[in-house]
Amino acid sequence: MTEFDLISATEYSMARCHSCGRVEPVDAEHCPRCHAPLHLRKPDSLQRTVALTIGAVILYFPANLLPVLRVESTLSGTKQSTIISGVVQFWQEGDYPVALIIFIASVMIPVLKVLAILVLCLGARFGYRPRVMTQLYRITEYIGRWSMVDVFVVAILVGVVQLGSVITINAGEGAFAFAGVVVLTMLASHSFDPRLIWDAAAKNRRRSGRSQEAA
Amino acid sequence: MEIAKSPEYLACPDCDALFVAPMIREGERVICPRCGANLFSRRPNFVHRASAFVLAAAFFFVLANAFPFLTLQAGYRQSYMHLSGCVSGLEEQGFPVLAAMVGVFTLVAPTLLIVALLYVLVPLLRERRLPWALTLCRTIHEARRWNMVEVFLLGVLVSLLKLGNLATLTLGTSFWAFVGLIVCLVSALAAIDHAELWEQLEAARP
Repeated sequence: MTEFDLISATEYSMARCHSCGRVEPVDAEHCPRCHAPLHLRKPDSLQRTVALTIGAVILYFPANLLPVLRVESTLSGTKQSTIISGVVQFWQEGDYPVALIIFIASVMIPVLKVLAILVLCLGARFGYRPRVMTQLYRITEYIGRWSMVDVFVVAILVGVVQLGSVITINAGEGAFAFAGVVVLTMLASHSFDPRLIWDAAAKNRRRSGRSQEAA
Repeated sequence: MEIAKSPEYLACPDCDALFVAPMIREGERVICPRCGANLFSRRPNFVHRASAFVLAAAFFFVLANAFPFLTLQAGYRQSYMHLSGCVSGLEEQGFPVLAAMVGVFTLVAPTLLIVALLYVLVPLLRERRLPWALTLCRTIHEARRWNMVEVFLLGVLVSLLKLGNLATLTLGTSFWAFVGLIVCLVSALAAIDHAELWEQLEAARP
């Protein structure tokens, strides 16, 4: 069986409910089981995904340029740290595994995720290698949440350090921007509909079939 | 071994391939032949297993909120932080929105997830469903995405190292309860097949 012997549910006007997974004719409008609205595809999927991704890219600059943490201590003065300088600090202190974790979670994953979403949007347009693209989509969906680590570190340090006389730790604006980046990329990958990739692939196949017939 | 009834049609959530659902035995699963997505599985005794894990997770979650989470020692001064301290600390420093986000990811989403799972699963043990169970079951899916307790745990471990020589952080009772919460919640979610849960819920007497 080749991958195109299967027929997409849309061709029978059947919609899969995105909340409970039941397959019903799309005319029903609402899922008879869980009452969620039925759609053949996620509404305005590509527009929403691209818009949210652009928002994330814009926020990415303040997230990396502004400090995420300000540490004031009577012994060593005030230190501001951004996300990158936090990684560098761990690296210089010899905590290589931690430096690596933070680097992967806070620097690599957001950048790769934005690139992956853009690749997916192109995939939905051109229908190239649908199976690989779907795999990429699954990874993108799963991995985004781990970027939140740095924000949680700031929250924990701010919460635990209330000793005014010895050290004060303040959250910086960068942490807020960074949390925004993570949430926006999570929303972006969630509003992407991987079925669009398969729609485009099916259209390509139909077109190439027709041109072969003509020849 | 019992051969369970499957839903009539299955459509792949990732590639929209449509099939007539095959009959499967307990312990088997259906994989999309086109894109490899997991479509449907029958897990032995899943309602019992999942509700046991969720009950344990609820117990751990209460413990995790009741005791100090971290203790900080700088010089001869000591301070405690509860789990909610992360949220209130950010709020006091003038980041109400960030505080709300952290609160949603570490407190609200897990609470919602545990409550919704208990409300749906426990009556299912006797094949009953309570009013609004279908609506609540929809929120399980949503709360799952925003529940970031395991990411928070990684954050705790990093903060232990981050303060390094400035102060000493020690783990409190709550921390271990929190680890228990993560283990139980992940096991509960792993035991549940979403499609099967919906089906059993539909078949249950209201």
